[in-house]
Amino acid sequence: MARPVFRTMGAAKKAAPRIVHLDLDRPLVEAARQDPARFEALYRRYLAPVYSFAYYELGNHHAAEDATARTFLAALTNLHRFEERAQPEDGAGASTFKVWLFRIARNVISNERRTARRHPAALLDPTTAAIIADPLNVEGETVRRDEASQAWRAVGRLPGDRRRALVLRFVDEMSTAEIAGVMGRSEGAVRVLLHRALRAVARDLGGRR
Amino acid sequence: MMPLGRDVIEVDALVTDRYLDSLLASRDLAPGAGQGLAEGIRLAAERLTRDLPRFHPSFRFEERLARWLAEAAAAMRLPAAVGAEGEVRVVSVAPPEMPAGFDPLVDPRDEGEPAPFSRPLLLGGAVAASALSLAGAAFVAWRRSRTGGSPMARAARAAHAMRGRPV
Repeated sequence: MARPVFRTMGAAKKAAPRIVHLDLDRPLVEAARQDPARFEALYRRYLAPVYSFAYYELGNHHAAEDATARTFLAALTNLHRFEERAQPEDGAGASTFKVWLFRIARNVISNERRTARRHPAALLDPTTAAIIADPLNVEGETVRRDEASQAWRAVGRLPGDRRRALVLRFVDEMSTAEIAGVMGRSEGAVRVLLHRALRAVARDLGGRR
Repeated sequence: MMPLGRDVIEVDALVTDRYLDSLLASRDLAPGAGQGLAEGIRLAAERLTRDLPRFHPSFRFEERLARWLAEAAAAMRLPAAVGAEGEVRVVSVAPPEMPAGFDPLVDPRDEGEPAPFSRPLLLGGAVAASALSLAGAAFVAWRRSRTGGSPMARAARAAHAMRGRPV
């Protein structure tokens, strides 16, 4: 069956495509390209998200700092290779620089883990993290810590891709489109990955109640 | 009714994704949000939203890395100023170095696959070199102990006899 054609003759000439710039970081990226010293603004904006991602992946503060440093230095020296590829369907909040930066982080972390043979499932432990405690509610805080610990362990037990997708979704609050960009997968594949990861976490947490 | 041609898991995944969008966009969900979603998945999503913290590195690290980046940026600007565009050289910066041949923009191979220059290869090379040295030493010792008159045996005996003599 022939596919329907919606374009009318001569329409291409009349309706010039409107260019929509969706990358929120575009002004900062342009400024950093002209003057590398202005990369600092991008660094300050994304330091905590990149560090969080690295910490969840590597489960160790020193390794996370190392990976974070490598990521930003690589981003600065390779900024000329960055190409903006935001699509209208990515939404108004889409930032391709953010996706590009997290791709670098993912590659750096993957390389670091492969060479150092680190296992995040064994290292991911909330007792090592500085969770701010409420000194006025010790009992409630203990329960809270216990619950957080269970959630962390459930996430830590997931296979790499599921854990990564979950952390990007819940901790870095990325959209499915952005996670797909970071992980080099289709949006549909990421949705299924997240769904399966949540199902596994639900089973894990449900069995421990 | 299930849409034709779509897998059940994909539909479930889409429902989950919509729910996560609304959950992460606003903590106060409208009543009815997550309809059609399994109770366990909804509860797990709420737990993770609440219990997975974000981390921030130490202030000391933040400032140290900012300094490294500033130095790297200054080094990038310098060649352009003197007319050597395209030549990027980072000087007086001591951040962790990238492994040789590693391109941060290229996906590394899947975890589990051996690295092209992995440690076992280096160890293997060292063992092989040691084994060759040991075999050579054993061969020379054996030739020295032999009383035969071959040039090699004579040379080995002569070399052994020279050891310890003042030059």
